[in-house]
Amino acid sequence: MKKMHYRELWCSSPRYWGGLSLLGFIILIGLGAAFYMEHSGHYVTGMSNQIVWGLPHVFAIFLIVAASGALNVASIGSVFGGPMYKPLGPFSSLLAIGLLAGGLMVLVLDLGRADRLIVAMTSYNFKSIFTWNIFLYSGFFVIVGAYLWTMLDRKVERFKRPVGFAAFFWRLALTTGTGSIFGFLVAREAYDAAVLAPMFIIMSFSYGLAFFILTLISAFWWSGRTLGDVRLAKLKNLLGVFVGSVMYFALVYYLTNLYITQHHGVERFILLEGGIYTIMLWVGQILVGGVIPLFLLYSPAFATSRTAVSTASLLVLIGGFFQLYVIVIGGQAYPMSLFPGKEVIQSAFFDGVVASYVPSLPEALLGFGGIAVSMTLVAVGARMLLVLPETLEDPTDECP
Amino acid sequence: MTQLALVIDLNVCVGCHACVTSCKEWNTSGWAGPMPDERAYDADPSGVFFNRVQTYEIGVFPNTETLHFPKSCLHCEDPPCVPVCPTGASYKREDNGVVLVDYDKCIGCKYCSWACPYGAREFDEQGKVMKKCTLCIDRITDMTLPESERKPACVLACPTSARIYGDVHDPGSEASQAIREQGGYQLMPEWGTEPANHYLPRRKIRMHIHEDELVRADNPLSKEGVELPFDQGETLDDVAW
Repeated sequence: MKKMHYRELWCSSPRYWGGLSLLGFIILIGLGAAFYMEHSGHYVTGMSNQIVWGLPHVFAIFLIVAASGALNVASIGSVFGGPMYKPLGPFSSLLAIGLLAGGLMVLVLDLGRADRLIVAMTSYNFKSIFTWNIFLYSGFFVIVGAYLWTMLDRKVERFKRPVGFAAFFWRLALTTGTGSIFGFLVAREAYDAAVLAPMFIIMSFSYGLAFFILTLISAFWWSGRTLGDVRLAKLKNLLGVFVGSVMYFALVYYLTNLYITQHHGVERFILLEGGIYTIMLWVGQILVGGVIPLFLLYSPAFATSRTAVSTASLLVLIGGFFQLYVIVIGGQAYPMSLFPGKEVIQSAFFDGVVASYVPSLPEALLGFGGIAVSMTLVAVGARMLLVLPETLEDPTDECP
Repeated sequence: MTQLALVIDLNVCVGCHACVTSCKEWNTSGWAGPMPDERAYDADPSGVFFNRVQTYEIGVFPNTETLHFPKSCLHCEDPPCVPVCPTGASYKREDNGVVLVDYDKCIGCKYCSWACPYGAREFDEQGKVMKKCTLCIDRITDMTLPESERKPACVLACPTSARIYGDVHDPGSEASQAIREQGGYQLMPEWGTEPANHYLPRRKIRMHIHEDELVRADNPLSKEGVELPFDQGETLDDVAW
């Protein structure tokens, strides 16, 4: 087997610093938006007592879910022994850390009292899935950080496999925890389904890999390195499997709810009469995030097209974002039933009627700031650490 | 364990909002305050209210009726908002069963709002912490107040006594008696949260007026066949004393 050499992400200075400056600018705008919302109160957001989690939470959950999925490539390499994926492990870990950091930044800045983070880190209620998530998120940084170390430092390389296993199981637990935030909710009819936890896991596989493919192609383009077709085809096919699986789990989720008479109302709302949420589901999630990417990934016409792979990955991310929007916001918009069996047509204080939510610009800017944080960490990490191979030309002596 | 709660008589509530305003007045300046408003005198006002009276018109004209439905935190015996709180800021007092939020520990994650099936949580958009009805904990536990005033502000303000306050675990309390004797019920008991607050149902009152109640059958004047008006002669009113 040919020896693999890793090198920092070097490219021309104007290109690197220009890109970094742009990301820095987006982060600054995001932080400014967070300060504006913090200073003016949540009045300036679209959130209310009915829609308590808005657009920033969709961004945050999206990044956190994608983070755990981004580690998948490393796990396939070291846990499942896939030789084609092994060289991608360090970058996969770095991306996972970056995405989680970006997601957590949005999550924390969207808390009512972000200044009380220390309270959240010192005062625990272990009955709360939220508390468990605090441990799962912090632990993820530690374990994936250690995993990255074992992949970069030959002195500790012997720990790579056990730490890789730990990281793999930790990431499964992390996404289970994130899915369970909704799965454990009984008060809102759209949730309260155990299938949400595994569905979030498969969603993480899909979003994480889409992020990975996009950043990998970008990084290699940025630094002018070679990325082989066979390796990309492997990733492409895997993404197709994950996209199909997400659609399957979504089908199971909706069928499960349709089986339960009590949930017919909310399903009718999301699937048929929910207006923007219904459009987001069918057009955003299913068509843009599912059908079109599957076509691009599996159509023989695009078999070797990198544009098709990149477009499919981007569409998977856009569709995934819509999927989370429908889950998080759509589920809250559907009213809680205070008077079972009765239809509330109008209510002065929003009880029993569909809640409206119009995301505000600061919320969106904070979300984009989170993505920029992730990308900045990846760009800086890739510049400072030996996470990217010098070349990923198709192997001649490896099993394809 | 003592479980303090409200019993709200929907039959008597006239929807005057005295409970709403008195709650806001007491709590905004007290321990649980402030309860900030936004656009209070403008279009689309918004603000924090621990107690809201929903008014519903039920049925289709002409068979309609109006229901005034006061709603606040129900101080569940098994409150779903407490276990979900990551910092333990939401808690249930062991001595009197009142569900409270420790504002110094609340990080404003709003997960409790997700968990409450009654939508009783109110996010303070300025303080950025979650708030809710405290059952006027600073009043009911203030031993310097006379016992008659150791009640939630809404209870003291209600002009029709539609709000009964007491220990629902004490079978001898006025609240327990009302629940027991007047068909008190919990809001959505199927959640298993065992809301401590109860509602007394609306009771239809129908009057049946028989014809003989309109025309006196035993009218002494008609019995004697006296034609009116008749000369009564000198009466006591004409006597000068």
